[in-house]
Amino acid sequence: MESATNHQAQAPPLHDDVRKLPNGSTSGVAASSQRIIRWFQALTIEQRVLTGFSLVFVGILIISAISYHNTNGLLRSSGLDGRSHELIQLLDSIDAAMGEAEGTHRRYLVTGEQAYLEAYKRVIAQKPTFSTYLNELTKDSPEQQRRAGELNRLMERQVSVESKVITQVQERGVQSVRKMALEGAGRRELDRIRQIISEMDVYERQAVNRRVIASAASTRDTIMLLAIGAGLQLVLLASVYYLIRHDIIERRRVADELQRRGELLEAANKELEAFSYSVSHDLRAPLRHIDGYAALLRKSVDQSLNEKAARYLQTISEAAKQMGQLIDDLLVFSRMGRQDMLQTTVNMDQLIKGIQSDLRLDLHGRQISWTIASLPEVKGDPSMLRQVFTNLLTNALKFTSTKPIASIEIGVEPPSSDEIVMYVRDNGVGFDMQYAPKLFGVFQRLHRADEFEGTGIGLANVRRIVHRHGGRTWADGVTDKGATFYVALPKGGIQG
Amino acid sequence: MTLTKPIVLAEDNPRDAELALAAMEEEHISDKVVLCHDGAEVLDYLYCRGQFKARLKGNPAVVFLDLKMPKVNGLEVLRTIKADTNLRAIPVVMLTSSREERDLAESYTLGANAYVVKPVEFQQFLSAVKELGVFWGVINEPPPERAWSHQ
Repeated sequence: MESATNHQAQAPPLHDDVRKLPNGSTSGVAASSQRIIRWFQALTIEQRVLTGFSLVFVGILIISAISYHNTNGLLRSSGLDGRSHELIQLLDSIDAAMGEAEGTHRRYLVTGEQAYLEAYKRVIAQKPTFSTYLNELTKDSPEQQRRAGELNRLMERQVSVESKVITQVQERGVQSVRKMALEGAGRRELDRIRQIISEMDVYERQAVNRRVIASAASTRDTIMLLAIGAGLQLVLLASVYYLIRHDIIERRRVADELQRRGELLEAANKELEAFSYSVSHDLRAPLRHIDGYAALLRKSVDQSLNEKAARYLQTISEAAKQMGQLIDDLLVFSRMGRQDMLQTTVNMDQLIKGIQSDLRLDLHGRQISWTIASLPEVKGDPSMLRQVFTNLLTNALKFTSTKPIASIEIGVEPPSSDEIVMYVRDNGVGFDMQYAPKLFGVFQRLHRADEFEGTGIGLANVRRIVHRHGGRTWADGVTDKGATFYVALPKGGIQG
Repeated sequence: MTLTKPIVLAEDNPRDAELALAAMEEEHISDKVVLCHDGAEVLDYLYCRGQFKARLKGNPAVVFLDLKMPKVNGLEVLRTIKADTNLRAIPVVMLTSSREERDLAESYTLGANAYVVKPVEFQQFLSAVKELGVFWGVINEPPPERAWSHQ
């Protein structure tokens, strides 16, 4: 939260900078990184970690690509170096061969010795091989190719000049070519050949040098790139680590906090239990004494007790009894809130039958028309659910007591996907719908005590139990026409 | 039917004690009631020590025990009685305001012979105490002296 507000606080001035300098510049970069940070903060922790690792992955791919490219370049360059050296050697060989060809040819012309002619022919025989190699080794460089072509032509010319001279010797004798022999027949071509070879040699050596310098530079750049890339990866990984660590620490803190609250809650519950225990034990005693001493008083002054005094004593006893009932009901209410809940399948038909049989004494002298639908099985705590329907049926009986024939209906709404809705409907005194929200509150009563007795806890208990089952309660009513109380329970029982 | 053995009533609250005695009075058995004001006095009586050093030997017909008492509470007295071979035959009736399930469960586990919740209404309290007094003090045949000590 804190960092988020900081970013928001910094955002407006950066926006101004962007407007002033829309293209590039550091503040533009800052603004876009600001945007990225804000986008980043909107992500969940999983998305952030995923983003971080994706960036690392992309970084590794880029570094791999650069390494591959560079290694390829180095390999190509060293391949070229090899060819350059071969070419330089070839040029040396051509130089030597053409020189030897010219030499043997001239000796032949001077001496007419067949041995020289043979030697000359052996040297000349290498020429096609030289041409092939020359073409092959210069095909990467157009300039060298051009020179190689010229070199080839010159070699051709030298050989063709020399072969013409040889033909002349064989037709007209050695004397006819003596002058030419002294000058050297292909001398001019040979000089030119040597000049081109030297040019090619220099060119090739320079190319080698250039490549050495270029690949050194490229290697240096690559190492730099790799170092920067690795640094970025480290920063990214560190950020991802920080994120995960931050999240873990936060989660641990929340878990600790939850545990602390759980312990507090448990302590509070223990205290509440001790409180209700002491209520159950200590609050009853004085009530018993009030009632007891009132009775003893009545007994000891029995003769002289007038009607008024007797009524006072009666009221004292009744008040004490009522408070006793209230304490008992409150204890049940408190127990329903903290008691461990069972989760079993409850047969509602049997449950209702059991309650009816419990209530049969209260039904004495009453005319009641029961309508009881076939009820489904529900998931929950049998004794708690029994308490719910006991309260609802007791209420229905109580609030129909003024009717000549009480009509009580227990039913179930058409099945829905996630709830089972059961209801208890009566034709009793009902209630005004404007008081409906008060019905389920503790100590909330809609009738005076002299109309209908009760402590005002029954429906609060109903709601508490149904809520603990993950369900809902509500009621419909019309004054003097009757009321309907609904209990909705989740189909699969309480979740979690 | 005459009451031969005493009834021990452990009750720290003097009003409850007075009301209980008033009830016993109606049945004319109050003169046999030994009133103890806490658990320690009950044990003093049973072991003939302290203020009861000089009492006539023999176990009472029944002990009515309140749960919450100063010094030694009802459950501790119950535990001591049922753990002693000379005392464990004495019928013990818990007479308490507590309806709590764990008190009930623990009392019966320790060997209480009955558990009675004091009714708030005096008439009911009266009849409960009278019936208890008559049943355990008169109708019920107490165990023979040292019934379990020969084991």
